Amino acid sequence: MNTIECRNLSKTFGSKTALQDFTAVIKENTITGVIGRNGAGKTTLLKIAAGFLQKSSGTIQVFNESPFNSLLVSANSIYIDEYVQYPPALTLREILDHNQYFYEKWDKKLADRLLDYFALHPMQHHNRLSKGQKNTFNAIAGLASRCQLTIFDEPTTGMDASVRKDFYRALLKDYLLHPRTILLSSHHLDEIDELIEEVLLIKNGTKHLHMPVEELKEYAIGVQGPEQAVGDWISNHQVIYTKQPRPGVAYAVIKNDFSAGDKAQGVKMGLQFSAVSTSDLCVYLTQPHKGGIDDVFI
Amino acid sequence: MILNTDGTKPIYMQIAEWLETEILQGKFTPDEKIYSQYQLADLFTINPATAAKGLTLLAEEKILYKKRGLGMFVTQDAKKMIRHRRINQTLKKLVDEIVEEAEHLHVKEEELITMIQEAKRNREGDAE
Repeated sequence: MNTIECRNLSKTFGSKTALQDFTAVIKENTITGVIGRNGAGKTTLLKIAAGFLQKSSGTIQVFNESPFNSLLVSANSIYIDEYVQYPPALTLREILDHNQYFYEKWDKKLADRLLDYFALHPMQHHNRLSKGQKNTFNAIAGLASRCQLTIFDEPTTGMDASVRKDFYRALLKDYLLHPRTILLSSHHLDEIDELIEEVLLIKNGTKHLHMPVEELKEYAIGVQGPEQAVGDWISNHQVIYTKQPRPGVAYAVIKNDFSAGDKAQGVKMGLQFSAVSTSDLCVYLTQPHKGGIDDVFI
Repeated sequence: MILNTDGTKPIYMQIAEWLETEILQGKFTPDEKIYSQYQLADLFTINPATAAKGLTLLAEEKILYKKRGLGMFVTQDAKKMIRHRRINQTLKKLVDEIVEEAEHLHVKEEELITMIQEAKRNREGDAE
């Protein structure tokens, strides 16, 4: 079963295209990391899936229904980001208590225990919380709702390192007990790459890559060595990224589709092979143009 | 075990190796049920699909077998096979590397053997 199916989905805001011909399928009960640079279209996609925004063209089906104005989707999904608004008159306790009327599977005990663990005072008001505390509270609401489609858009913004770690661990533990479809967007793939099953990489409003994270880990490999040797060796391969760490030394990231014989030949030429982390790889894959920040100062 | 997350070895392979070591050390005996993908996911804070991939790897190597709906179990020959493979692949590769480095450094064969014997004696001394 698929929770989300998008076909040629597009969304424009005035003259700006946020999503273009986006086609992807999100399987039921998986955790998917939605990765991309600022402005790539992550939030637009997630908000359309949650029914917050209307598409411009193409199709999107969530639980086999168009999510916009869908009661089914509203009742079975939750979208969490740092801008979630709650009535300022309510205390945190009251907000949590009200949530159980909206979400059928709301787990009051979990919400209370998480609130206590993360040292949030139940009598506090949401608009008085710090940015990190606000996001911690929103994340608690997201977890306790137990929605079949749970969407976290940059949930850890402002959280300190220890709270982030605890949140991801809580997310995994609750997912193991109550499997559901979770979309998690983050700039820090290295923080979530063990937690997620699939990576959906968005670039300029289109799908750039969608694959199991374990495959992404073996998708590319780094080669380093004398400039000439690296240049010769990579000429027959698909190059994703190159840089010059030191004069005379070159480093290249290439697609991992060469034979053991190719590699042995490379080793003989004095090349060193190394794994490329998924988060570095995603940065390289979504780089808008060749070169880096240094080229701005030329 | 602490997972090595620098990306040099896929997590599912580290999980498979960890399970192999548990079997080698006798923590699981033949026909005993091994950890489920969910227990492994909880133990190492990893996605259960990744844990399942580690278990599948061991099933393909006939170190584990599957009982439908009940989970994964240790095969009769698991320990023997793990030991055999580790000697023939891991240990042999390490020995090759040692011999190669010794050649680079012009260390004689007898010298190398003495070094190995010494290392072994030190370990035995530590163990006592």
